[in-house]
Amino acid sequence: MPKFITISTKTELLRIPSEILMYVTSDGNYSALYTQDGKSRLVSLQLGQIEDLIGEYFEEDQSPFARLGKSLIVNKDFVFFIDISKQTITLSDWRGHYVDKTASRQALTGYKKALESDAYERI
Amino acid sequence: MPMSGYKDNFRDDEFRIIGKPSVEQQLVEPSEPIEPRERRKWLPWLLATVALLVLVLLALILSRRPKEDPLDGVFEPAEVVAPPPETKVKPELKLLGHEPDSTMSFTGKVDTVINDIPLSIYIPYHATPELIVGAPDKNDESIIFSAQAADIRADNYNILGAFVLKGKPLAWGLSKKGYCAIIDGEITVGVSENSPLFEKATETEGYFFRQFGLVDNGVLVENELKNKSERRALCSRHGQIFIAFTNTPESFHDFAQALVDLGVDNAIYLVGSRFAFGSYIGPDGERVNFGEGPHKYKNENYLVWRR
Repeated sequence: MPKFITISTKTELLRIPSEILMYVTSDGNYSALYTQDGKSRLVSLQLGQIEDLIGEYFEEDQSPFARLGKSLIVNKDFVFFIDISKQTITLSDWRGHYVDKTASRQALTGYKKALESDAYERI
Repeated sequence: MPMSGYKDNFRDDEFRIIGKPSVEQQLVEPSEPIEPRERRKWLPWLLATVALLVLVLLALILSRRPKEDPLDGVFEPAEVVAPPPETKVKPELKLLGHEPDSTMSFTGKVDTVINDIPLSIYIPYHATPELIVGAPDKNDESIIFSAQAADIRADNYNILGAFVLKGKPLAWGLSKKGYCAIIDGEITVGVSENSPLFEKATETEGYFFRQFGLVDNGVLVENELKNKSERRALCSRHGQIFIAFTNTPESFHDFAQALVDLGVDNAIYLVGSRFAFGSYIGPDGERVNFGEGPHKYKNENYLVWRR
């Protein structure tokens, strides 16, 4: 069974299987969740609250999600390319669509190292 | 509605893997903050080395016999004052301007110079932002600040880029990546090709327009336009919203860099040049007009704050 990230308010319920949640961006007091099927959904939670919620579903060493700076959460399973000099991270839905997001140099450097370490540990 | 009171202290230069510490991690490092694996791998070695060093030091101290110092009791032992360790403390960003005590509605103005660029910062207090299409009435005392918002096309005078007026979409398009959304009276400034706040604005009788992005999460956004002009921008910095004007002709790049150096988190361009019309009411209650006009093009649109 997939893990469903579930966000519930008084009148709405949003369920997204974690493996298709590509990334989450911050829009002030709102957050937009983008899924592999090209859809997005705006929720009235700040990014930190979304982070707390995702954190409930995973142990750190099993989690595909990482927070990069104030405005971005990414799922590493969709990370295609990191360019620290241009401060961009490119995500792919692996179906021919790509999206560039910006993050700080320091956050990208740390994340790149973490992904490298992750890759080596699996070899 | 957004939850009030939630404080997110995550910084832009940080990253972390999201998740609970595993049981193993809790046993080995109960209070360690979540960090990349590469660093944790070395932690046991680091702890062992530190423990060894402590043991060696202890052994040395215990085996040393106290030496008599002939100057003891005559002079106070010379005190070596080590210079304090250098600490790099990030300066706290203070809000610009002075938050007024009263509930009077007016626009505060702060003049500053960043990178040799003289800037005027306009901060509306106790007022609600909105967009209007058509020139603002110069005699409308409820408007405490106005400045032109989205560009209009030179060929047909339609609004350039997506535009929502009180929930009603008037224009579509993505020629510029910067956006401003006003939802429930709250402004959000950002740079993104695909902002769901456009839809949100249509659903909540909100407002939305697009302009050139200048600063995206503290990072300068490069624009191809290279000419110089008097520039204006809508900025968010540490949660504070304000409008910045250059008082000299500047390139997009230099203007955006000045905003980055000012500590602005997000900024988008507003129609600039010394001709673009607008006005504000200062703390003395006097209205000050800037620019020329209004020109009364059919879709000339303005970002205004009303008391």
